[in-house]
Amino acid sequence: TETKKLPLYLPFLIFPILLFYFSELLGDILREKPQEADGIDSVVVVDNVPQVGPERLEKLKNVIHKIFSKFGKITTEFYPEVEGTTKGYIFLEYAAPTQALEAVKNADGYKLDKQHTFRVNLFTDFDKYMNISDEWETPEKQPFKDFGNMRHWIEDPDCRDQYSVIYEAGERTAIFSNDAKEPITVEERARWTETYVRWSPKGTYLATFHQRGIALWGGEKFKQIQRFSHQGVSLIDFSPCERYVVTFSPLMDTKEDPQAIIIWDILTGQKKRGFHCESSAHWPIFKWSHDGKFFARMTPDTLSIYETPSMGLLDKKSLKITGIKDFSWSPGDNIIAFWVPEDKDIPARVTLMQMPSRQEIRVRNLFNVVDCKLHWQRNGDYLCVKVDRTPKGTQGVVTNFEIFRMREKQVPVDVVEMKESIIAFAWEPNGSKFAVLHGESPRINASFYHVKNNGKIELIKMFDKQQANSIFWSPQGQFMVLAGLRSMNGALAFVDTSDCTMMNIAEHYMASDVEWDPTGRYVVTSVSWWSHKVDNAYWLWTFQGRLLQKNNKDRFCQLLWRPRPPTLLSTEQIKMIKKDLKKYSKIFEQKDRLSQSKASKELVDKRRAMMEDYRRYREAALQIYQEQKSIRLELRGGVDTDELDSNVDDWEEETIEFFINEEIIPLGDL
Amino acid sequence: MKPILLQGHERSITQIKYNREGDLLFSVAKDTVTNVWYSVNGERLGTYNGHTGAVWCVDCDWDTKNVLTGSADNSCRLWDCETGKQLALLNTNSAVRTCGFDFSGNIIMFSTDKQMEVLKKAKEHSRQINDIQPSVDLTIFISASKDNTAKLFDSTSLDHIKTFKTERPVNSAAISPIMDHVVMGGGQEAMEVTTTSTRIGKFEARFFHAAYEEEFGRVKGHFGPINCVAFHPDGKSYSSGGEDGYVRIHYFDPQYFDFELEA
Repeated sequence: TETKKLPLYLPFLIFPILLFYFSELLGDILREKPQEADGIDSVVVVDNVPQVGPERLEKLKNVIHKIFSKFGKITTEFYPEVEGTTKGYIFLEYAAPTQALEAVKNADGYKLDKQHTFRVNLFTDFDKYMNISDEWETPEKQPFKDFGNMRHWIEDPDCRDQYSVIYEAGERTAIFSNDAKEPITVEERARWTETYVRWSPKGTYLATFHQRGIALWGGEKFKQIQRFSHQGVSLIDFSPCERYVVTFSPLMDTKEDPQAIIIWDILTGQKKRGFHCESSAHWPIFKWSHDGKFFARMTPDTLSIYETPSMGLLDKKSLKITGIKDFSWSPGDNIIAFWVPEDKDIPARVTLMQMPSRQEIRVRNLFNVVDCKLHWQRNGDYLCVKVDRTPKGTQGVVTNFEIFRMREKQVPVDVVEMKESIIAFAWEPNGSKFAVLHGESPRINASFYHVKNNGKIELIKMFDKQQANSIFWSPQGQFMVLAGLRSMNGALAFVDTSDCTMMNIAEHYMASDVEWDPTGRYVVTSVSWWSHKVDNAYWLWTFQGRLLQKNNKDRFCQLLWRPRPPTLLSTEQIKMIKKDLKKYSKIFEQKDRLSQSKASKELVDKRRAMMEDYRRYREAALQIYQEQKSIRLELRGGVDTDELDSNVDDWEEETIEFFINEEIIPLGDL
Repeated sequence: MKPILLQGHERSITQIKYNREGDLLFSVAKDTVTNVWYSVNGERLGTYNGHTGAVWCVDCDWDTKNVLTGSADNSCRLWDCETGKQLALLNTNSAVRTCGFDFSGNIIMFSTDKQMEVLKKAKEHSRQINDIQPSVDLTIFISASKDNTAKLFDSTSLDHIKTFKTERPVNSAAISPIMDHVVMGGGQEAMEVTTTSTRIGKFEARFFHAAYEEEFGRVKGHFGPINCVAFHPDGKSYSSGGEDGYVRIHYFDPQYFDFELEA
């Protein structure tokens, strides 16, 4: 304990302060004092200890000692035996109860080896649990926290979508409601997040990042719904059902207590399970099935699938898949696709496996494979495996697209061969088309394919010499934007894929991001301060490529649309609405026209008021100006210079000739 | 109409100024040269030689008899406008940033990095002010600032009347003598340009409606930030001097005078 220097005048002052200092000084000492009377509070029981004979006992004791002396000073240890072999549980006494608690906290669950995982408990806990009353007491009721209508934003009568904007280099975060005229501010806070924000998949929560963990906000007023403590958190992921959130921090991991990745229950705030993590290079490490029933991760030669809500391994064991390189869930069904590379005589192959049965639905062999990438269509109707191969006898790499038709019996596979290197690939979200950018700058081509019902995959159209490196489909399909982001200076092409026409070609100089709204009506292009330090702004376009707004924001960083929950309408109801669309269109058009003229009227009125004020001000200034005329004349020796033609009599006229043009006109034969 | 390009400087333009009647346009630059041009066709009349450092400011008296220039060579010089002869040399203790004649032409003022007499103060801008220009009748003036705005003030009371917002630093602004317009020129700092722009001549002069504070037009053409703008006293043309060393004289098309924002 360190001695603290008392300020000299204090002893002469108030007695309680003296007392406070004394207890401060002595408190530390008092805490550490061995308390013989409470000996049993410092004892822990360790279960699942290897059962060894006398020849290995010394070694066992050393190992135990090494592990458990980390938490404090072990004063006594007892290894019960039966017929010369240890029983498998031991007692350890520490110098103080606090140390015993540390041991329980940190060593419980410690995996000594494959067969032995320690269970560590306080000796006094046994007592407590043995004496549990047979009468069951109802647990205390927690007060209900009403956060209001969590889906409030969906009820906007004008169907405006919201989006989050981070600007002032991260200092300010705002939520806007998207109106074609101009954004409407819903909420704006300084230092709401320390790095960036994320929306949950159905739009219910906004997640913000802080040094201590993450916070979830929602409801009409964006109140804080939940907080998760995870020191140094840097990445998060939500389960698709919004029941769980997964957080990652590079700081937290200890061997005994996996804390690099934590899975939380959002509604209760409980920590469900922690995992180790070697590297966060490919986040999310855990991939969720579309219904949130399963989550899985890949480690060398292993695929581990866990089920919710138990958070335990499915069938209590992982799948051993030698050489597994990549996997992903179908977004529509509980099917996992994974691929393994070539292994001696066995060719590389892609496997589709049904969960939880683990039945292999389809296996596809691939030859001379260099690399594969899995691309699911958003409904799980199709899987595209992009295969880079080096055909036998050649040096170069060619690319094939293996298209798996998931909805057809036995999942037939069709192949599309590509002659050039692939820059980007994207499925139409709810359709059967896909777009590919291929070639090499400056000769980049955009090709559109249609996967037809008759087993053919047709190239609909190819646009050549495009300035594009990214593909952005509208979430509703049919429309898309080809963008040349960053190094390609923000070239934009708006395409209607129903007839593959270019609706508009435009540019947002130095654009770094393109984001479609969830309804597919609007597109936002933006220049983020994170990638370019000037001209930071976000522009709003219609899906046809008509520019509606340019919103400059000081050091604009990120815009994210708030996702919408899935529709509550049945397919039948949607069909009916589409049929009656004309009727609805009339009503909406009228509404639009009214709001337009209202806006114009507002603007016109505003301008008229400004002009009146200005005129009044100028007239007053002019009055003073007139009054000062005599002073002006005096300063300029009587010459009136109030107007340019005030002293016309003094003017000199001068004629100047300018050389304009020279023309040689040949005169024909004279 | 096609702009008239004046090429007479080898380094960036620091200030341009019309004489009271508008037939002459003076330009000064970092290359120590002071030029005078006929504004009607861009023909150069002559040069005032003598400064040994960058020339920061220029002014002409109401009768177009004398010309005053201030320079980084710690001097303010008076010249005979017609002959180009240096009439007087005023030594100062540091670089001269602004200089000018009073209404009568009998008094000269200048300010340097070290000295200035303060009559009245007003703080409305959040970052440095690059230029201040009065209206032709001197009742109002406009300030151009690095804080991306230009502001209109009443000359007597220093009341802040209007603000014109942009997303780039404003280097210079001027008030139209005949319309309710202001013109602004600026650009970004050279340090912030990390990528070469593939668009040549992308630097623009921007026109705002003085009463509505709304931008209604832009004129492209300069290859670098615009350092100084000025309206011709008759309001039918304007000029801009840029970091690229060029001065551009623009005569307005008839549509400019007819243009009106709906009100």
